[in-house]
Amino acid sequence: MALDPKRPQKEIKYEEMRIYSDEELRNYTEEELKNFKIKHDIPDLDELEKGPWPSFVADAKREALHRRKLAPDRMLIERDVVEDMLGQLQLSFDEGETHWKHGGIVGVFGYGGGVIGRYSDVPEKYPSIAHFHTIRVNQTGGKFYDTNFLKSLCDLWEYRGSGLLNMHGSTGDIIFLGTFTEQLEPIFFELTHELDQDLGGSGSNLRTPSECMGKSRCEWACIDTMDMSYELTNYYQDELHRPAFPYKFKFKFDGCPNGCVASIARADMSFIGTWRDDIRVDQEAVKAYIGGEIIPNGGAHKGRDWGKFDIQKEVIELCPTQCMWMEGGKLQIDNKECTRCMHCLSVMPRALRPGTDTGVSILCGAKAPILEGAQMSTLIVPFMKAEPPYDNIKEFIEKVWEWWMEEGKNRERLGELIQRYSLQKFLEVIGLPPAPQMVKAPRSNPYIFWKEEDVPGGWTRDIKEYRARHKR
Amino acid sequence: MEDIKKAILEFASDSKKSKFYFKDMEKAVQKLLPDAKSREIKKAATELVNEGTLIYFSTGSSTMYGLKGRGITEDPE
Repeated sequence: MALDPKRPQKEIKYEEMRIYSDEELRNYTEEELKNFKIKHDIPDLDELEKGPWPSFVADAKREALHRRKLAPDRMLIERDVVEDMLGQLQLSFDEGETHWKHGGIVGVFGYGGGVIGRYSDVPEKYPSIAHFHTIRVNQTGGKFYDTNFLKSLCDLWEYRGSGLLNMHGSTGDIIFLGTFTEQLEPIFFELTHELDQDLGGSGSNLRTPSECMGKSRCEWACIDTMDMSYELTNYYQDELHRPAFPYKFKFKFDGCPNGCVASIARADMSFIGTWRDDIRVDQEAVKAYIGGEIIPNGGAHKGRDWGKFDIQKEVIELCPTQCMWMEGGKLQIDNKECTRCMHCLSVMPRALRPGTDTGVSILCGAKAPILEGAQMSTLIVPFMKAEPPYDNIKEFIEKVWEWWMEEGKNRERLGELIQRYSLQKFLEVIGLPPAPQMVKAPRSNPYIFWKEEDVPGGWTRDIKEYRARHKR
Repeated sequence: MEDIKKAILEFASDSKKSKFYFKDMEKAVQKLLPDAKSREIKKAATELVNEGTLIYFSTGSSTMYGLKGRGITEDPE
């Protein structure tokens, strides 16, 4: 299904938006870079460049040199912002503690998120990073970009910010790293009015929803992740920009249980595409995999000789619920036992495909905090249809929010609230009966208890009548 | 709406701390106006922010409200 925009989309043309000429953008040589030293000594950071992986230090040095060579009137914040940032980082390495001050009242008019105040606590030593605010820019659906847009965005940030950015933060947004307070409103104006681009969520808001590329490029997508994310981002604009939640709240959309955006590990509410009918099997293609005519895993492991493909060893015996077997040369699947691990579909994509009656599984309560332990989502809704305008899903979301906003303590995530009150209470609130799939491991977490009204006769019984039938 | 705004301002000026969570503000408003719904309180708070009376204070991970002019109101330099 093609994207149906909520309003006409603006066409961005870099030639009309550009701030810098080609000469300004390529204003240093590799030779100059080799001999370039920033104004601070950064021995530990230099060390980071020596490892096998590309280093942010190398990128930051390029940006520092680039800014050194730009004319002074071509940047609206200090030229040596990147050099001071690296200098302060070296100081933090030396002293083993951070020098960033965290938080503040900075923001843009009408928004309670999207801008995060950052200040150096040693501004006399590093004056160019006295302010180093972060701006979150709502990424595009599926992270598909037009280069006209990306180049315009980079020019804007070079001109009004540090030029350092992060594609993408773990929530999904584009992160602009480091600018001064007086640049915030002009950046916001240009993003929204010129680039037709909104800020993302931060603080006690709905965070920028993120999704995999879904049906746009992937044969396994069971739901239109980009459409769902676009619809819910628009529908919940107030929740995204005006904070009234007890803490952060994240939605993430995975098109299939392969989970490329890892919603199950990171989102307070994870939407994972699934099917409720049977896996589609092309028995001829199964034979072709067995016969070696089709390379398994789409050729992903062909760099090494793993021997002949063995369906028994590589697929059937690896099925976690052992719901597959060969019979008369045909692959059989006991579909009701399938847990959607996706292994067989991933190994034999031309033989096995998801069913056609598709929708979402909804899981709640994941979090991945830095200081305390991470927690995975718990399956709450095994299957729900997911079709525009997603009213059934919105109804579910709002029931959950209502309870969390009412009962959640300050800075308590949904997963923690469910743990504090019990899964049983959560299920009562959202009006769902408990199901075996919600239990993580039978008997180890027996959090579903019978209630007196659920048991015929309640807690009282006639012991004599019972003993008449059951001797001691 | 005006009643709710008044109750918010009362709490914002009298609360022990100069920055407070939405939930604490909500509880204080509902003590005075038991029928005030969470959504109405949020709308009133947003109006006060837009009028420049209340301010947001964000740590990046969570957001608090405050009365402009009380506690830290400028960049903490």
